[in-house]
Amino acid sequence: MDIELNEDQTMLQDMTRRFLEDRSPIGALRKQVNASESFDRDVWKEGAELGWIALFVPEENGGIAESAGGVEDAAIVAEELGRVVFSGPFISTCAVTFAIAQSGSAEQREAHLPGLAAGETLGAWCLSGRGPMAGIDAGAITAKASGNGFELNGSAAFVQDAADADLLLVTAADGDGISQFVIPSDSAGVSIEAMEALDLGRRLYVVKFDSVKAEADALLGEAGKAQDALEKQLQTVLALQCAETVGVTDRTFEFTLEWVNDRYAFGRPIGSYQGLKHRLARHCGHLEGAKAAASYAARAVRNDAPDAAIAVSVAKSHCGRMSTEIIRDCLQMHGGIGLTWEHDIHLYLRRAVSNEQLWGSPAAHHERLCQLAGV
Amino acid sequence: MQNNPAAEIVVKTTEDQDTDEVRAFRLRAREWMKDNLPPRLPHEAGNDFDDAKLVERDREIQKKLHAAGFGGHQGITVPVEYGGLGLDQRFEDVFLEEASPYRLPWSYGNATNIAMPCILGHGTEEQKKKYVRKILDGTHLWAQLLSEPSGGSDLAGVLTRAEQREDGNWYLNGSKVWTTGGHHCDMGLCLARTDPTVRKHAGLTMFLVDFHQPGMTVNPIKLVMGGSEFCQEFLDDVVVPDADRLGEVNGGWKVAQTQLASERKGMARGWHVGMHRAETSPYIEPNARYGKIAKKLGTENDSYTRAMIGELIVYDAVSDLIGKRINTGLRSGKFHGEAGAIPSLMSSVFDIDRTKLVSAICGPEAIASVDEKSANGVGMSRVSTHRIGGGTLETQMNLVAERHLGLPRELGPAPDTPFNELRSNKTAKIA
Repeated sequence: MDIELNEDQTMLQDMTRRFLEDRSPIGALRKQVNASESFDRDVWKEGAELGWIALFVPEENGGIAESAGGVEDAAIVAEELGRVVFSGPFISTCAVTFAIAQSGSAEQREAHLPGLAAGETLGAWCLSGRGPMAGIDAGAITAKASGNGFELNGSAAFVQDAADADLLLVTAADGDGISQFVIPSDSAGVSIEAMEALDLGRRLYVVKFDSVKAEADALLGEAGKAQDALEKQLQTVLALQCAETVGVTDRTFEFTLEWVNDRYAFGRPIGSYQGLKHRLARHCGHLEGAKAAASYAARAVRNDAPDAAIAVSVAKSHCGRMSTEIIRDCLQMHGGIGLTWEHDIHLYLRRAVSNEQLWGSPAAHHERLCQLAGV
Repeated sequence: MQNNPAAEIVVKTTEDQDTDEVRAFRLRAREWMKDNLPPRLPHEAGNDFDDAKLVERDREIQKKLHAAGFGGHQGITVPVEYGGLGLDQRFEDVFLEEASPYRLPWSYGNATNIAMPCILGHGTEEQKKKYVRKILDGTHLWAQLLSEPSGGSDLAGVLTRAEQREDGNWYLNGSKVWTTGGHHCDMGLCLARTDPTVRKHAGLTMFLVDFHQPGMTVNPIKLVMGGSEFCQEFLDDVVVPDADRLGEVNGGWKVAQTQLASERKGMARGWHVGMHRAETSPYIEPNARYGKIAKKLGTENDSYTRAMIGELIVYDAVSDLIGKRINTGLRSGKFHGEAGAIPSLMSSVFDIDRTKLVSAICGPEAIASVDEKSANGVGMSRVSTHRIGGGTLETQMNLVAERHLGLPRELGPAPDTPFNELRSNKTAKIA
């Protein structure tokens, strides 16, 4: 994705691509869909062994964070996952792992990180509810002090992978600020209800909290003071999602270029008509923009750059809107075949359309950019 | 020049790397500039051919630079016999370091960035001695006579005819258009058709044309914005001695390629050599202008306006990041040269999208205002923001699609069709 990958990163990219081509090509998603399975646990564990999650975990907790490139490296993995419309819980588990590694106590890290890094524990992040700022602003769940711990109430929506998760990262907001908790997903009072999702490789849920008890040791960081940690988690997730979206789009653009070169109409390849060429030239430019914005965002987040918050929203808006537009038009160029269930392009388009709205719609990020720019 | 404010500016230099010879050159330049060059004004245009005074002043600067033994603007590395100093690049770099607070004669951009490399690359010894020198000593401002009323993107389709008559001279007839600064120029590189019976690229020849002769009529073109930076020329038996033919007869396309490559190279390096571009921040910095407009109009809390402002911040950032990405890739070899068309295409695409949104934020205030002249500028940008010059938007898209993405070329007439058998604006109407 980045035009300046170093040697280690190029290796990581090659290794991930080869692994996925072998173990989880786009056809794997089709099989899972036909069999009504969520994702392949074996592939997930093998991926974890390659370090997908361990990138965020310090060595003392069974990870490789010290020698890895953090979110920049994870973005390389995410892009490859996008190319095959991977269905495993990558972004959600990365979010929970990153949050615990960032804000967890020594006990919390020791308790959770080794299992997450090994691919044995799965996580899901309950951040927000429905409404225009869904995926960005906390506020759907409240936490009030109760006994030694807290009581959680509310309802989070669009929660990825909640039913498969062992751990829930809960971001609660109220007048006192932001507090975060890590609780088992089978805690009493937690109910998980599947949403009907258009992305066939992504499972979304409404997670309800009805007087859920969170013990004091479930609190991540300090009560009411998690605003900065939350921002950093959000940036990490956005950087990963944008990278994934780039992979989805890049792969679609590749096979569409092959198609317009191979497909003949009126005696010549359809790619020789300006009617298609000009659209593809623009798409190429916007795709380069998506790659530029996504890789810039990943680097800014990793380096804690002063513009990291702006960079992820810029990337999210551009990648989100343009990927949908590019892939939608690529489907158009495929003609009738593109509308069939058997063709893969709808799997890509579903992921792009879904990514455009998850973790903040473009409109929500435009609002966020105004706030960040002091407007 | 008494109390030249530019002389007070402390310039960051690479003096610590100077050899004795370079050091002496630097000090001589520094001393001379203080008394002879006007200061660089922050808001002064690099060039503006609608501003005759600026053009005249640049002529004076170029003459002085040459007379004082600095070889004229961009002449330091040009061989002595052609009017330059014959020194290596280090001297030019040092000169430009010292010149950074001063105005340089940037009106000569077409002469130094385009005409000079073409003549040095394709010219005879006599042409180099005569014409390169006259660029460097300030005698000649140059124009490019390429586009014609019949079309610009299809450059090899030019109709201007050149015929060699019995006296050995060439006689040029036709019309050229979109000539930057034509009304100030002394000479032009003119691509003309010398043989219409062969395929279109094979029948062209390049000429060095003297503007100051009876057959040459130069008319400034008034643009939608009101100014006149470009001209149309009518060539009516314009005389060019055979000694002023640049390159082979019917070898004009080769010269034209050098010409276009020089233009691209100049653009990539920075057209106004020695003009430092404003330091750009390594970070994304949202343009404060959008918020100011909304505040002034009292719409800063309107959610529709806010959505548009957010989108504008995205356009600006992505447009900039595309340029950085492609340039990095071109330098590292990850991209082939053709990828250079991508940022050019996308900055036009974003320009058009941007004017649309800025205009929408302003609403009716963009088209008329009681207290501010500049308000019209916003609406006017909706009228004037197009990509025509330097290759239309469509040409850029073809470049990206065919050269970068490798898509098949559009089917046209057989490549070896003689030019006079191609259908044109004229013949198509007859047929």
